[in-house]
Amino acid sequence: MTPRPFLLICVILITSACGGGTRGARDGGGPSSRLTVSAAASLTDAFTDIGEAFEDANPGVGVTLNFGPSDGLATQIVEGAPVDVFASASGTWIDAIDRDGPGAIRRTDFARNALAILVPTDDPAGIDEVDDLARDGVQLVLAAEGVPAGDLAREMLANAGIADAALANVVSNEEDVRGVVTKVLSGDADAGIAYVTDVTDDVEDEISLVEIPADVNVIATYPIAVVSGAQEEDLANRFIDFVLADGQRTLADHGFLSAP
Amino acid sequence: MFVVLAAIGVAVAALPLVGVAARTPWSRTVGLLTSETALEALRLSFVVATAAAVISLVTGFPLAWILARSSFRGKTVVRAIVVLPLVMPPVVAGVALLAVFGRRGIVGSWLDAVAGVQITFTTGAAVLAAAFVSFPLAVLALEAGLRGLDERLDDAAATLGASRWYVLRRVTVPLLGPQIAAAVVLAWARALGEFGATITFAGNLRGRTQTLPLAVFEQLQSDTDAAFAMSMLLIAVAFSVILALRGRFLR
Repeated sequence: MTPRPFLLICVILITSACGGGTRGARDGGGPSSRLTVSAAASLTDAFTDIGEAFEDANPGVGVTLNFGPSDGLATQIVEGAPVDVFASASGTWIDAIDRDGPGAIRRTDFARNALAILVPTDDPAGIDEVDDLARDGVQLVLAAEGVPAGDLAREMLANAGIADAALANVVSNEEDVRGVVTKVLSGDADAGIAYVTDVTDDVEDEISLVEIPADVNVIATYPIAVVSGAQEEDLANRFIDFVLADGQRTLADHGFLSAP
Repeated sequence: MFVVLAAIGVAVAALPLVGVAARTPWSRTVGLLTSETALEALRLSFVVATAAAVISLVTGFPLAWILARSSFRGKTVVRAIVVLPLVMPPVVAGVALLAVFGRRGIVGSWLDAVAGVQITFTTGAAVLAAAFVSFPLAVLALEAGLRGLDERLDDAAATLGASRWYVLRRVTVPLLGPQIAAAVVLAWARALGEFGATITFAGNLRGRTQTLPLAVFEQLQSDTDAAFAMSMLLIAVAFSVILALRGRFLR
């Protein structure tokens, strides 16, 4: 090997060593108008179905879905990502785009979601109830602080009175709630705190759900809004109408609770 | 036209740097880089990258030696396998490491059952992920260096009665010094930048597995200024490495 291409490889690799980002977007054929929707990672399955149904109901319309942690999606929108609709797992991040720009219009709560403890089916640490998360040596995975699922999980642990012991067991703070599911799915985490809706058909053989009693559980409320200055504002409003109407059944099918 | 395309090429490389530099809050950089999160990440990154570079050198040298000095069937395949992590998407490297060292992995399940040891979520996992991707760089750099040495010097030493080990210690390694340093620096720099395999395989916990790139990624969603300050630091380190090695590899 001659030195020259070697240097090239090195430079390319060193400078490209950092990667990561949001889950990919979905693209259709050649629609006449395209709506871009950023949605919380926990909405991945439900909004994929809703997006397809919306496309079917509106010929010529394509929906691009961008899934990720609500805080990360809000950062993208504040930094100028061309997004028409933002569906967040927490009102905090709609507030953020209101405060730091570009602003949110027609903010509406459209779903709620309960937290649950996810454990691998073989349950290596024997987690049967919330208090077991405080036991010494349990490998617990949470979503990072700032991510709605992460903040709510910490709130729930505080409600249960085991915040200190349980947080000392945390072995990883994941970028979004799907990251929590992944670590439980691989069997490397003893338990993760995510949403009830994260135990989907795809993973129900590998993951068991431990319910959290209602008196300590925390319920996430999901707001949706049109991003101010959206290129497809009419379409964005129609999409929100659709989520509030036909979309409600899809959301319920995926385990979401209806908004109050 | 040719010049224009070249200029576009330079712009593609330079503009993101300008972007980060423009967004870095320079007056507060010191404060941001001495926050608890940043300091923990700095310390851990230094430890992880150094450990990975040492592992890469110690295991990479014998391999580079064999690749450079001997010929055997399947050498091309061996080299391809060794270089593979360089071009593998880092997240795939993470998945691959999970498949081997995860609690249900080939080696991991055995370690768990026999010794009760779990690698995932430990600093060791972060080192393993970093070493996995930096090892090929060390091997390639060392092999290139070994090929550039005059093998007859070794032979001459051997005919004078020097043992193989003595030749290696007193002839080869001293002659190869600059290449060894370059290999270590390259491996170290690559290890420092490792993100995908680390977050997939080792997780993200401050002080244990949250290296600088992971801290940048997490802070980007809460403290953007801190994320830019840390990004600028990583760019500065990478740039220094390239400048330092320029004389060695651009000729």
